[in-house]
Amino acid sequence: MEKKVREPGEPVVQFALLDDILNLARANSLWPMTFGLACCAIEMMAAGASRFDLDRIGAGVFRPSPRQSDVMIVAGTIAKKMAPAIQMLWDQMPNPKWCIAMGNCAISGGPFEYEEQYAIVPGAHLIVPVDIVIPGCPPRPEALIQGLLALEDKITRGEGRNLLRRFKRVVEA
Amino acid sequence: MAEQDRTQVSHRIYSLNLGPQHPSTHGVLRILLDLDGEYIVKADPVIGYGHRGHEKMGENRQYKQFLPNTSRLDYLSGMIFNHGFVLAVEKLVGLEVPERAKYIRVIASELNRISSHLLWFGTYVMDLGGFTPFLYAFDDREQILDILDSVSGSRLTYSYCRFGGVTSDIDTKFMDMTRAFLKRMEKRWADYDSLVTKNIIFIHRTRNVGVIDKELALQYGVTGPNLRACGVAFDVRRSEPYEVYDSFDFEVPTGSQGDALDRYYVRFKEMQQSCRIIDQALDHLPAGDFLAKKVPQKLSPPKGDVYTAFESARGLSAYYLVSDGSPGPYRCHIRVPSFGNLNVLNEVLPGTLVADAISILGSIDVVIPEIDR
Amino acid sequence: MSVKEMEKIMLEKFPDSPLNRDETGLTGAAWSVAVPISGIRDAAKAFQTGGFFLESITALDFEDTFELVYHFNCYEPKSRLVVRMLCGHDQVPPSICDIFRGAGWLEREVHDFFGIRFSGNPDMRALLLPEDADYYPLRKTFGKVGAYHKREEIYG
Repeated sequence: MEKKVREPGEPVVQFALLDDILNLARANSLWPMTFGLACCAIEMMAAGASRFDLDRIGAGVFRPSPRQSDVMIVAGTIAKKMAPAIQMLWDQMPNPKWCIAMGNCAISGGPFEYEEQYAIVPGAHLIVPVDIVIPGCPPRPEALIQGLLALEDKITRGEGRNLLRRFKRVVEA
Repeated sequence: MAEQDRTQVSHRIYSLNLGPQHPSTHGVLRILLDLDGEYIVKADPVIGYGHRGHEKMGENRQYKQFLPNTSRLDYLSGMIFNHGFVLAVEKLVGLEVPERAKYIRVIASELNRISSHLLWFGTYVMDLGGFTPFLYAFDDREQILDILDSVSGSRLTYSYCRFGGVTSDIDTKFMDMTRAFLKRMEKRWADYDSLVTKNIIFIHRTRNVGVIDKELALQYGVTGPNLRACGVAFDVRRSEPYEVYDSFDFEVPTGSQGDALDRYYVRFKEMQQSCRIIDQALDHLPAGDFLAKKVPQKLSPPKGDVYTAFESARGLSAYYLVSDGSPGPYRCHIRVPSFGNLNVLNEVLPGTLVADAISILGSIDVVIPEIDR
Repeated sequence: MSVKEMEKIMLEKFPDSPLNRDETGLTGAAWSVAVPISGIRDAAKAFQTGGFFLESITALDFEDTFELVYHFNCYEPKSRLVVRMLCGHDQVPPSICDIFRGAGWLEREVHDFFGIRFSGNPDMRALLLPEDADYYPLRKTFGKVGAYHKREEIYG
């Protein structure tokens, strides 16, 4: 019997089927928190609206309360005055929770970062642990959908394991 | 002691924080409310949660490097703010703009105005509880974004206007798409009318709610549809015509009472008037260049200041640039309409119900990053 | 009240400060008048009774002085008028927030960015910066600065 090599990041005790089912359910019903700070919020709203429906991938239910949401999409520039609020909202979210940094401002300060910028926090990763980054200024709603699908794959630990994945990748035969 | 407490209850003021994160996505606004039961006794808006330092950045940038910032001030009328900045620098330097470019800029600005009002319309009715118009409004808005995307490459934050004209010319595809959009909207107005305007719940939630009278508007510098709903026909496109607005035939809609319902009507009619302007502009679009021929790479403007006002979707906006002869401004101040529009809430909110406060906040159409700059 | 009538009133109130007419249209205003610090309240009252609204208050930082610029406008076409006021780095100009209630926030913003205190404004808390901010960002002695001039280098 060959020794199975554990992948980095894989937990030691694995519940296998139950874990997989729970992760599948979590991934396909991500409830985002409405956290639009600036321009990216409009693209997030457009992604939830009629043309780029987020409801198809289960993420259309935007909850205003952090207690009821799974994923915090930080969309927009983080001003220094707003940073404690982001910290507080992240702490209020119950586990399991994930964070998506949407837009250049949330990744690294975006177009507003220059030396001796006094007003912004250059990146959401300085405040909360970010799982997925979606670059763009602002990213198109299709990019937000791609980011959410990438988060789904991260939750189920593999694209192939996400059995309910919308938009399966086309493999050249 | 308990007896005393019960009688004191109605006199106890409860402080509620309408916090920086709340579902009506106007940006990050915080209002400290003092409530007596459901009635608001005192309202104190706290802003600054979206402050990004645009004015300081303006002092550290050259004029052409500040162009991306202009769209991100009021991202719903990004094209209009872009247009205004370009007008200010052209006035300062004395640059001539070809006629075709002026018409293209006007068409793009008016399309942006319609998309901003459509988004306001969708989110306002969503704030009041009706989710369906949001989806219809966004569908129409996507048509506009397709049109502007095809010519500028961006959906929300454009840097389409350049000093001396625009980045790229509009082709027949743009004009066909715009005409198809105008034709589509002609039927849509009746749809929105029957869905929202004649809805009894909507009327009850907006009639006589949040009345801003002329005297209050004068004290706080309220401009835009909020002022026009009071009955004052003040529109920068009429009072200080810029570009080719004086050659178009359009009305400036006004209301009479200054309540939320009047503000809704004014914005609705403004969208229709914008469609009229676009129609006329497409009919009279001249042939020619889309960008002035000799635009210097490095601008060397004269010393002094320039102040250019324009009508954004929210009211009178202006750029105040002080030039010291270098390629960048010495001081770049932006006058935004939402500043005065939000300031008015200090006096309009007390005495209203909390539910009405949401209706009032939605009806004045503020964009917080514009205030915070 | 029209621009011409305001002109007469300003010339009456401030006979020592000539009106600076703008023929080129660059400043967006018909004329601008320079008032001393003590005169801003009179000027503001005149504009308020004349039916003007306060469009914006802003400040400019020069090496030798601050300059406060008040833009007034009314609903008639092309009626913007400018009032300029020199204010030293340590001076405290009077507030006009009881004449124009909207000036309260505008003065708070100027205080936030430049540190100019306005006497008579009951509420001088931070508007745009965090409450514990102790810096004045738009001063030319803070952060990254392109240039720092004296007033005459720009306005002659």
